[in-house]
Amino acid sequence: MHLIEVKNLFKNYSLNKTSIEVLKGVNLKINKGEFLVIAGPSGSGKTTLLNIMGCIDKPSSGEVSVDGQQIINMTPNELADVRAQKIGFVFQNFNLFPVLSAIENVEYSLLFKPMSQVEKRKKAQEALSMVGLSAFAKHKPLELSGGQQQRVAVARAIVRDPLFILADEPTANLDHKTGEEIIALMKKRNRERKTTFIFSTHDQKIIDQADRVVKIWDGEIK
Amino acid sequence: MILKLAVRNIFRHRTRSLITLSTIVFGCVAIIFIGGFFEDVFIQLREGFIEAQTGHIQVYKVGFNQKGKVDPFNYLIENSGEVISVIRQLPEVDYVTPRIQFSGLLSTGNNTVSFIGQGVDPRYERTLSKEAVADLRKAYKEGVKQGVTTLKTGQGLDSNDEYGVILGEGLAAGIDAKAQSSVTLLTNTVDGSNNALDMKVRGVFYTSSKSFDEVFLRLPLVTAQKLLNTESVQSLLIKLHHTDDTQEVKNKLQSLFQEKHFNLEMRTWDELTEFYAQTVDLFKKFYLIMKVIIFIVVVLSIFNTMSMSVLERISEIGTIMAMGTRPKGVILLFLYEGIGLGVIGGVVGVILGCAIVQVVSGIGITMPPPPGGNVGWLSHPMIVPKVLFSTFVFSIFIGGLSAFYPAYRASRLVITEALRYR
Repeated sequence: MHLIEVKNLFKNYSLNKTSIEVLKGVNLKINKGEFLVIAGPSGSGKTTLLNIMGCIDKPSSGEVSVDGQQIINMTPNELADVRAQKIGFVFQNFNLFPVLSAIENVEYSLLFKPMSQVEKRKKAQEALSMVGLSAFAKHKPLELSGGQQQRVAVARAIVRDPLFILADEPTANLDHKTGEEIIALMKKRNRERKTTFIFSTHDQKIIDQADRVVKIWDGEIK
Repeated sequence: MILKLAVRNIFRHRTRSLITLSTIVFGCVAIIFIGGFFEDVFIQLREGFIEAQTGHIQVYKVGFNQKGKVDPFNYLIENSGEVISVIRQLPEVDYVTPRIQFSGLLSTGNNTVSFIGQGVDPRYERTLSKEAVADLRKAYKEGVKQGVTTLKTGQGLDSNDEYGVILGEGLAAGIDAKAQSSVTLLTNTVDGSNNALDMKVRGVFYTSSKSFDEVFLRLPLVTAQKLLNTESVQSLLIKLHHTDDTQEVKNKLQSLFQEKHFNLEMRTWDELTEFYAQTVDLFKKFYLIMKVIIFIVVVLSIFNTMSMSVLERISEIGTIMAMGTRPKGVILLFLYEGIGLGVIGGVVGVILGCAIVQVVSGIGITMPPPPGGNVGWLSHPMIVPKVLFSTFVFSIFIGGLSAFYPAYRASRLVITEALRYR
């Protein structure tokens, strides 16, 4: 069984009374433990495909199964539960909560896990330590550099041990060196824990590290 | 964690939250202060009527209240001594005193006016000097005894001075009578013949009711009975230790009267003072209108804060939802924030409200005479526990209510659009 299976996926957007077809019959199978890149130019539909696989967007037609579950007809609450239990996200702009400290941001990811507060704190500390930020646990996001913020975001994604992590242009707002460090961090996690990573990017540094590169062009996989 | 996030977000924009909290605090203080002020007005007015005019309960012969105005002397209580001893058995009763009321003409020789006379027992129905009333006010923290008939000039009634009479201020002015003036009281006896008594004005009094002071005079009961040629009384005035016991005592007396086969009926102070009920009703309506205005102002203020908060945090809401928070969780987050504002505002408002009431109460607010009243008074706003409780609950409720719509809107955001929002 594939971790994610996308069949004949279409997605249309309405813009000023005209319909734009963003995805045009996409088929894709992703295996557990892959370090996969969906690459393509801006507007090619890679982020839309990532969003649908991440259960935060719905296709116009087609089938998507995540861990054997069809997600197309799920209710918003069911989709939220799938996201909470199986998926981690790393965003281009880090998207940390500015009012929470680094460790609290990571801990928030365990909100729906049935474990005690002490266990949550311990796991969050481990995750922060894994990304090399133990010393910054009490710092608020605005007190951290961009690279440090993205490390916290990675810690937040991995702490809940998701089936897969979706990363949308995770290095776009980082300098070259910091970007490399973040990629190395994720690659290490993939190697050691077999966590599946799916990227949407055109960053060559990530493409170079990928097990497989899926090229998308004008809504179609080439 | 959602609660922690909500609390932190309250303090995210301190100035904005402070302005919103100030609105809530101001609303709470206004409700507590005006509630305490009105409560003081109600108590002073109520106790004024009870003390000066009605007592807590009045006892009459059955039928007096329906037909007594036309033919008052047909409804006299003949066995008043026996009834009084039954009433005195109840521990809630402070004292019980007989009264007889009649009308007639009052003359100084030069001027003659009509009057209503009250034959009272001077031992119980006191007329005190201004200073003594002031001392009584101090003694009773709740502001009771305000309505004791107060002497303007001269002295009060004395059991040893059978032919001494005291006149209401307006009545005395009407016939140009002063303390030590000689007056003649002319009236009909209970069997219809004319009778008159020469009396000496011992003093001039006033109460909280101007209309009362314009027609009423008081004289010792024994003198009134002599003038009316009867040994009976018209009513028994019961004064209790606590006004709150009125209904309970009335019920007990009803049973006792039935048991003893006394042919008597009763009226409580609130049935005898229509003006009080109307005033309370009027003030309560003012209070309600004021609360509604405060409610709207506070709701709009919190609504504005929460709407701004949602608008500024669209991307954050997208992240929260992407991480698996259900729409209900997003609603809860913003509800907690609204309720949090309500709790903080409520706590500060209640504390500040109590402090302000305490200070103002210590100083007192000089008030003009009420409509139909004769004398100004000093208001001492009170801390009313039920107003404090309802204000606190009101504050929390308002916080939740104002946050609900912005919270609902936040929960309906499309995640992908929210994440893109900058």
